Amino acid sequence: MIEWFHPGLIYLFGALLIPVLKGKGKLRQAYLLLLPTLAFINLLLMSKGVLLSEGETWFLSFLGYNLTFGRIDMLSMVFAYVFVIASFCMILYAIHIKEEWQHVAAFFYVGSTLGVVFAGDLFVLFFFWEVMAWSSLFLIWYRGTKEAYGAGFRYIMVHFFGGICLLGGVVLQLQNTGSIAFEAFGWGLGSEYLASYLVFLAFIINAAVPPLGAWLADAYPEATVTGAVFLTAFTTKSAIYVLIRGFPGVELLIWLGAIMAVYGVVYAVLENDIRRLLAYHIISQVGYMVCGVGMGVFGTSAGEMAINGAVAHAFCHILYKALLFMGMGAIIEVTGRSKLTELGGIYKYMPITFWLYMIGAFSISGFPLFNGFVSKTMVVTASGMWHLPIIWLMLEGASIGTFLHTGLKLPWGAWFAREEPVCEAREPPKNMLAAMGITAFLCTLLGVYPKILYDMLPYPVHYEPYALGHVVAMSQLLLFTFVAFWFLRGMLHGTPTISLDTDWFYRKAGKKVIWFCEKPLMDFANYIDQHVMRMAGFFVWFSRNPVAALRIKGEEVRLTVEKPIANPERAEVYERALEEVHRRQPIEEPLVSLSLGTALLVVLLFIALYLIAIFIRGWFISP
Amino acid sequence: MLYISLAVSILAGVLVSHYHLLHPHFWWEELPVFSALYGFVGCIVIIIASKALGHHWLQKEEDYYEK
Repeated sequence: MIEWFHPGLIYLFGALLIPVLKGKGKLRQAYLLLLPTLAFINLLLMSKGVLLSEGETWFLSFLGYNLTFGRIDMLSMVFAYVFVIASFCMILYAIHIKEEWQHVAAFFYVGSTLGVVFAGDLFVLFFFWEVMAWSSLFLIWYRGTKEAYGAGFRYIMVHFFGGICLLGGVVLQLQNTGSIAFEAFGWGLGSEYLASYLVFLAFIINAAVPPLGAWLADAYPEATVTGAVFLTAFTTKSAIYVLIRGFPGVELLIWLGAIMAVYGVVYAVLENDIRRLLAYHIISQVGYMVCGVGMGVFGTSAGEMAINGAVAHAFCHILYKALLFMGMGAIIEVTGRSKLTELGGIYKYMPITFWLYMIGAFSISGFPLFNGFVSKTMVVTASGMWHLPIIWLMLEGASIGTFLHTGLKLPWGAWFAREEPVCEAREPPKNMLAAMGITAFLCTLLGVYPKILYDMLPYPVHYEPYALGHVVAMSQLLLFTFVAFWFLRGMLHGTPTISLDTDWFYRKAGKKVIWFCEKPLMDFANYIDQHVMRMAGFFVWFSRNPVAALRIKGEEVRLTVEKPIANPERAEVYERALEEVHRRQPIEEPLVSLSLGTALLVVLLFIALYLIAIFIRGWFISP
Repeated sequence: MLYISLAVSILAGVLVSHYHLLHPHFWWEELPVFSALYGFVGCIVIIIASKALGHHWLQKEEDYYEK
């Protein structure tokens, strides 16, 4: 009887068989769906106690360190559940894709994320962290467009940087404490916390915290239709998981999170690309979770509420954000268009997609009866329990913006907005609709019956989402947002523009640095080069026959001096004589005859001088 | 339909606040129509402030990075 089996390995090893099943149609599709099902059964067996349900297991000795691949507790279980459930829906959405390596990349991505979730030490964490970055890159590159190559390249560079920060932090931590255990890091001001800072930096890069989060809105909208759905879930939410493990209750995160929540909303107003708009709302929604982690001080009821809220919101967010990306992906799949300025009026072709999308939109906006409502309000309530009025107002304000964009502007602009449809469209393939249907069902189920979710959270939940006050306040907020939207909807048409984000620094300023290297810096280098080479050339020329060279130079100087004072008709003669001198090479001049005897004499002279010097020195030093 | 829901939400807000069914953390949560006002004003502020920010600074031509 095995004690435990790592769910991530089901994906990682299972992926290797996918290319073998190439061209096997139905069999391959069944196999693709079988893997997440097996992983889900594995998790159920863990929950039921058939497999290990709490504790640490799967140790491996590596370079004298004890690696831990399985750390199982409430926190890792709830994240593992949502990753596995979401991956099933996403794989179903992508099942018609013929490129088998795209499936392999997606499975590696999911598997490595589960590796991060169950990682019990920092080495294992780092290993899976890197696999995650690499495998997800291919979900972007498989799009095959020039934009996708560029965005993918920038994506991996940013994640390389994050990975190096993590590695540096891990090594420093090991040096400082002698342990690779992945526990809460020390936090404070001072150089002794350098290891913590580096790890923190790596984590918040993956969580897309501004100003380090521009990679997300840059890369996700360029990914393949199905790949983008995977991307929405794993990188940012695994970052939330590791932040909860490593930095709970770090106050800085409260502010970073609240700024993130508003930041995403502002950019979403300006955005024209339908998936980039949603990408900015990932940043906004992850802001709630980051804020929750920041408020999650151990051992306080408000802190437990905040951590529960962050985890619950990650759980719900993964589902509804996947659903939203599936809906917008469906539009791109059938129309080939992704800009609001090129869409509109196509509702009559795809009403089912629209309504399924709207369930996701109601969820992310936090409508009562949908899952966003039962999780987002926990984080907001936690900010109330900590008495942080500005944070509370920022988070509530971001809720307004969320409904405004994903619930009103985006569906209105994509499916309505014009009398006549801009292009032909149809419902997407059946598997895509089915995936959306299942995800929409889960969003609603958790909204109607939040107990399933609350029972999985790391701390006991003392929270009633459907208290009358919450429901009324949220209804008022959303209804009057709609009223304001209706008044101002004319301002919300997409415009054919892009918005500057912090990726400007490596896309534009980076280009300027390269220009600086290529132009002024290279010119300067060439200038130096030429002069040094001329100097060197002169020495070579000179040393070939110093005596003749001196004579030539002397003649040159004489001619140069005489030329201006000579009468004009003679000037030409001097000119020609100078040219003649310049052409003369010392090597061609007759060597001054220096007989072997003379040379020997010179050498002996030097040796004699040397000996005299030594003697004199010895005479001075000895008493 | 919309007007009815708006009216109902306001009425509910007044009732909830009148019978002290709330557990407020801040004083403004006790105002019966605070959320409605915040939603309405907040939405307008978000649109106008973001548009202004975009217009004067952030928004560029689509080929900005290719140039």
